[in-house]
Amino acid sequence: MGMEQVVLLPAIPAAIFVVLALFSPLLPRRGDWLAVVGMAVVVVLALAVAFHFQDFFGHGEFDPSGENARAFEWLNLSNGLFQIDLSTYVDAITVVMLLVVSIVALMVMIYSVGYMRGEARYGWYFGALSFFTASMLLLVTAGNLMVLYFAWEAVGLASFLLIGFYWERRSAAEAAKKAFITTRIGDVGLLIGIILLWREAGTFDIQQIIEFAEGGGFDQRYLTVAMLFLFMGAVGKSAQFPLHVWLPDAMEGPTPVSALIHAATMVVAGVYLVARMLPVFDVVLVARDVVLYTGLITAFMAATMGLVASDIKRVLAYSTVSQLGFMFVALGLGSPTAAMFHLFTHAFFKALLFLGSGSVIHATHQQEIEQLGGLWRKQPLTTWTFVIGSLALAGVIPLAGFWSKDEILHAANHNLPVFVTLAVTAGLTAIYTTRLVLLTFFGEPRNHHAYEHAHESPPIMTLPLLVLAALAAVAGFVIYEGVGQALGFAGGIGQLIFAHEPEVFHFDRDLATFALAVSLGGIGIGLVYWWGTAERATRARGWAPELHALLVNRYYFDDLYQSLINYVVLGAGSVIAVFDKRVVNETGVDGGAQTVGWFGLRLKFLQTGRIPNYALAMAGGIVTLSLVAFYTS
Amino acid sequence: MSSNDGYLMLATFLVPLGAAVLLMLTPSRERSAIIAITALASFAMFVIAVYLFVSYDFNGPQFQGVKAWTWMENAGVLGERGIQLKVGMDGIAAPMVLLTGIVIMPGTWVSWKLHHRTKDFFILLFLLVAGVFGTFVMLDLFFFFLLYETAVLPMYLLIAVWGSTRKEYGAMKLMMMLVAASILIFTAIFAIFTEAGLGTFDLPTLFAAEFDPRMQKIFFPMIAIGCGTLGGMFPFHAWSPDGHAAAPTAVSMLHAGVLMKLGAFGIIRLGFQILPEGAEFWAPALVLVGITAALYGAISALRQVDLKLMTGFSSVSHMGYVFLGLGTLNVIGMTGAVLQMFAHGIMTALFFLLIGGMYDQAHNRDIPNFSGMAKQMPVWAIFFILAGLASLGLPGLSGFVAELHIFVGVFRSYPVVGGLAVLTAAITATYLLRMFAAAFFGDFNPRWSHLREITWAERAGATVLAGSILTLGLWPAPWVDRISTTLAQTIPGVAL
Repeated sequence: MGMEQVVLLPAIPAAIFVVLALFSPLLPRRGDWLAVVGMAVVVVLALAVAFHFQDFFGHGEFDPSGENARAFEWLNLSNGLFQIDLSTYVDAITVVMLLVVSIVALMVMIYSVGYMRGEARYGWYFGALSFFTASMLLLVTAGNLMVLYFAWEAVGLASFLLIGFYWERRSAAEAAKKAFITTRIGDVGLLIGIILLWREAGTFDIQQIIEFAEGGGFDQRYLTVAMLFLFMGAVGKSAQFPLHVWLPDAMEGPTPVSALIHAATMVVAGVYLVARMLPVFDVVLVARDVVLYTGLITAFMAATMGLVASDIKRVLAYSTVSQLGFMFVALGLGSPTAAMFHLFTHAFFKALLFLGSGSVIHATHQQEIEQLGGLWRKQPLTTWTFVIGSLALAGVIPLAGFWSKDEILHAANHNLPVFVTLAVTAGLTAIYTTRLVLLTFFGEPRNHHAYEHAHESPPIMTLPLLVLAALAAVAGFVIYEGVGQALGFAGGIGQLIFAHEPEVFHFDRDLATFALAVSLGGIGIGLVYWWGTAERATRARGWAPELHALLVNRYYFDDLYQSLINYVVLGAGSVIAVFDKRVVNETGVDGGAQTVGWFGLRLKFLQTGRIPNYALAMAGGIVTLSLVAFYTS
Repeated sequence: MSSNDGYLMLATFLVPLGAAVLLMLTPSRERSAIIAITALASFAMFVIAVYLFVSYDFNGPQFQGVKAWTWMENAGVLGERGIQLKVGMDGIAAPMVLLTGIVIMPGTWVSWKLHHRTKDFFILLFLLVAGVFGTFVMLDLFFFFLLYETAVLPMYLLIAVWGSTRKEYGAMKLMMMLVAASILIFTAIFAIFTEAGLGTFDLPTLFAAEFDPRMQKIFFPMIAIGCGTLGGMFPFHAWSPDGHAAAPTAVSMLHAGVLMKLGAFGIIRLGFQILPEGAEFWAPALVLVGITAALYGAISALRQVDLKLMTGFSSVSHMGYVFLGLGTLNVIGMTGAVLQMFAHGIMTALFFLLIGGMYDQAHNRDIPNFSGMAKQMPVWAIFFILAGLASLGLPGLSGFVAELHIFVGVFRSYPVVGGLAVLTAAITATYLLRMFAAAFFGDFNPRWSHLREITWAERAGATVLAGSILTLGLWPAPWVDRISTTLAQTIPGVAL
């Protein structure tokens, strides 16, 4: 598979979406097999692209403007004055994203066959998933910011449709609305940023913009503003502070959707965007610092909220927000490799954790961890795969998360405040992960009805868990050349991830030991507080009830935004609506009409019907006009 | 496009006129005959409109298919060179003709369910459409204005007789404001005619004529306000939400979908093409008015309860983008303005079609009264959401293509205004999403369990409009090529 055909990757699921959207009721099994088989084909093609790309790369024939870039003119106004090409572009970042998106999407689709069985709108579900996958694949292969924006909005729409999949439920409808509007605010910034870049560079082509920026084509201040606007889009899509509020609510969607869209793929689009544009961020370091500190604040804040969340999916959602923060920190430190590596490993273990939580919800119809417990006896496969994912998330050697988190810490080595915050956050991560595992799967069952009801999920659901658990365990090893070579990649998969800084990865024994100590320490604290009946944790709440309330109420951000909408936005709406009614309509228009009516009422008395009155008026008129004519001529 | 296509342009307004005459001769109890006549006539209009749009060759001369018939050899005071019925299209008229053809066909279909004086309704509706088509293809100022007024006048009766919700008030307000606006246009037309001193109403001649810059600066605002009132330009928009709310479905569709574009079209034809220096002078004011209207309409729409009023204010907001784009004076922004005229036309026609399809059964349009409607009327809800997504500027749908051009055009000249314009799109998303969540999703309110899915005629009409939304959104090149080429050729002073 050559680079020219990379456009097939989004085209296949897009075609399947059209078929399912129109004809799924007519198809056997409403067409779920079509979506799964199509996705399997995409995985094969994505692997082919990766191998092909390796060949290029290995032989030093890699040419960013050559065979891997393709364009088709979509719009051309006045001979290139304003031109948009549908172009694809493939580089190492693209290949990593293609692998992540296609593999996770395939696992999620297989899993969904079991999880969504018997749902109304079953066919529509697979159609929407295919639509999402198509848009996401388009997003990562886009060579042009306008195409990227196109796909960016399309994944947002897919997210809206799937969060609102159970739209009869008021909370799901509200969550879908919240997600769409919040990310839309970020997208305003993204579009402004893209147009600002175009305004100076005269093109939407990403590589040309990068060249233009590196050549010093932009004014520094101008470029800073443009990149900050662009970053707003990433903040919205990747649920970073202060636009993070939509992601926990987005858990109203079906759980496999949370795994695919709200953990592994769509929410990392922001990371992808910044990584893709990082050469431009490197030109304006102020903007890069904003990326760094946004990520840092988010990583820490979300981890603290994850400590107290009581819904299994919400804990994972906060964890996702926090891990995305880690990736932005890496980008802000100027290390796209660490960010992409963490993106790569995180996709597998977080998708695994979500699908595991789905397996629990499927079995118990319960998502409150206070109502679970002891499930390891009933759901051994789910439990042990979940434990693997959790250890990977907590950063325990030799699982995937350890390696990538280590890379980020390594990148932060020279910046003490950042390093300390990251280390603390890593510790918190280990604590909330341990809490989640213990409360859900161990201890005594707290809700016997739910427990009695529980059973292991069918093989079609546990198979993806096993595959993802294997990936979560070993994905970190790709940094070793030998592993990749054994798989047939000339330079190892690590070479894809480390394409930009091939010499960066060094295993630093001291740092790794420290990171491992932090993780194990966190796990230890978790075990102490939540083992068994979790008495200590309950008591610990009493130490600082205000702090607990602050965290449970999510730092009051949701309340703040709600009152902003209620009082400021809707308030402005009321003011203008009243202005329109009273001033424009009643005073301006009706008032004008009434004035005419008033004069008519008064002046009608001049219409006496008596000839002498009219004759007098006529005579007066003639005299006046004559005088005017006389004096003016 | 050959000059014989001029006959087809003539047909665009002779077909509805002929159909109106035919309807007058048909007894009103012959319902099937009425339906047959209207079906044929509207289909013919649709086909002719599509053909004219497709066959306009943007590499050719600016005005194509030009045909003239002398009406008066010498009109004395009104021009020694006489008055001609002269038709022809440029790349701005072409999408407008297409728009009219696309909207009238579904508009006719959904009106068949009217049972009150159906025949009279169609006579007036076709008279209106004849005026709209005529204005778009007319290259003689005399007939241009005549047909412009022909398009506006039937509106009064259509709303006052077949309307709802304060229909007499809405009809009267609309009529009074539009007639007052016409006085301004009329004055400006006479000034143009006299000042040119060429003794002709021929538009291409007037486009080429030189006018005193001071005269242009005085009369451009008259055109802009006069035509702008019909285009729903803030602060002369007051007739629009009330008029839309009062009008019957097909009339709302044509009115918001096509008639408001007639106003913007008038500004381009009479303002930009005849008085370019006046336009250049006043362009910043258009930008100011445009962005104010965009924000004002969107923020007002946040608080509207009646679906039709919400759509009405949404129209004020979207038409604000048109004036904003025109005010940029660069070819990207102005192309965006014409694209927006088209995009808003099909999208808002779809909105009104759907609202009508529901209101006819529920006799209620207040958003808080509805909940979970997607359960009872899924097809209706899907079309509605599609129209809403087009309205909020989702890529792949018509609205985005237009808005993108406008944003880019505005950013070239006024970056801060550009930022506000993009922000407006987020406000649009807010009021539409709030409406979706409240009315379509959530528990179904059993009060509405008697409602049926929209009729097949409505579904067919919605499919035509939705198809147009997708076509423009996914493949905008045919529109952009026609519009931008003409704008670059025709309007002196337009920056590239």
